Amino acid sequence: MTGQAFFVLTALADGPRHGYGIVREVVELSQGRVKLKIGSLYGVLDRLSADGLIEPDREEAHDGRLRRYYRLTAGGRRALAEEADLRSATARVVRARLGLTGPEAAGAAG
Amino acid sequence: MSGDLDLEQRYRRVLRLLPGYYRDKWEEDMVAAFLDGWLTGDPDEDSVTMEYDRPTRQEVVSVVALAARLYLGGASAPRRYFAWGQAVRNAVLGVMLAHAVWGVGQLALFARSRHLIGWLPPPAGGFWPMLSYATGYAWIVVFVALVLADHRTARVLAALVLGADAVTVLHEQLAGTLVSPFASWAYLIVIDVAPVLAMAAFHRDAPPVARRPWLLALPAWYLLVSVPVLAAELSGHAAWVPDVAGQCCLLVSVVCLFHAARVWAGRGGSGVWSLTLMLVAAVTALYRIISLPLFLQDPHLVKVDLVELLILAVAVALVAPDAIRSQAAAPAPFGYREPG
Repeated sequence: MTGQAFFVLTALADGPRHGYGIVREVVELSQGRVKLKIGSLYGVLDRLSADGLIEPDREEAHDGRLRRYYRLTAGGRRALAEEADLRSATARVVRARLGLTGPEAAGAAG
Repeated sequence: MSGDLDLEQRYRRVLRLLPGYYRDKWEEDMVAAFLDGWLTGDPDEDSVTMEYDRPTRQEVVSVVALAARLYLGGASAPRRYFAWGQAVRNAVLGVMLAHAVWGVGQLALFARSRHLIGWLPPPAGGFWPMLSYATGYAWIVVFVALVLADHRTARVLAALVLGADAVTVLHEQLAGTLVSPFASWAYLIVIDVAPVLAMAAFHRDAPPVARRPWLLALPAWYLLVSVPVLAAELSGHAAWVPDVAGQCCLLVSVVCLFHAARVWAGRGGSGVWSLTLMLVAAVTALYRIISLPLFLQDPHLVKVDLVELLILAVAVALVAPDAIRSQAAAPAPFGYREPG
């Protein structure tokens, strides 16, 4: 799973969002490191939709335009959880190898 | 005033780069998300934004990148885009294979310079010949990396080789040693730059390359084509050997004939290989045409070159109907469910 796809799925983890809502949420989740352009976002949404990981939720009118909301499917939720476990395990290994385990490491990092 | 278009229309104009099936599915959504990022809800401010602002370069680049990925489709793309994607990927591999074969030839010359092979002529020394050998070896690595799906290595190395080749051509032009600067620069663009740019077709949706046949093609081409050609040249029969562009014309023609026979026997597949051969033949024909200025002083050689082009055109005509078949009847795009 790419980093962008991971962030998009994470942005939908706590509820449906429309396109720009996902962009904003990804900026927040990544602490400003990932700023998805619309072309990139819809490339990711298209792929996740084709893989059955997300699906349209509803449409709402806003300033004369329709906003389409997307939500995770059960498969998307499962895939995101597996990816989170994988990344978390990898991060633990990296931190252990760097000697950053324990509360003092957290303090040093903070 | 910034033209007659407002921001929404300017963005929709950018979105026209995308395939029709994709726009049908996503355009309204993309426009809504795009405008959400610009508009504040303040009517005065939004009015100015709509009139004067335009999509940023990064937004346009993201749409161009998406368009490239969609037109050169992966496994889930509609049939015609998948066929183009596969044909471009195969054609790029074919051109990289030709470069790699040349690299193997350079390797043999280098081995000769180290007295590892006794029967080859010794290569010239100096910085520029050594740079030429280095780029030759690099093409081998680019080809193998592409086949093994290490796209990043292939792209980075190919970009370095392009830079080295451009510097070499520039050096030769400034030194006045180029027979035809047009031919050299055109060669660089058609044979080097265009295929490297077309590596964009190797995106994450692209199906994996069949490794074994492509990797076997490298020694097979060298042993079955390059070595006999070299042997003919060394045994005093160089006059009978076509130049490299001519060899490529004849080789592609032979492959077209074999493939046409497979098509007629009903074993031609989906038409992707016919489309591939048409692309490779187009590059080969351009290669032949841009090298013509090198032979203008010899009308006989120009005639030979034109005959090679004619043979290539006839051979390609045999696979063209099958290639067109690969573009027919695109099915509906992959499953998208409307809400509710």
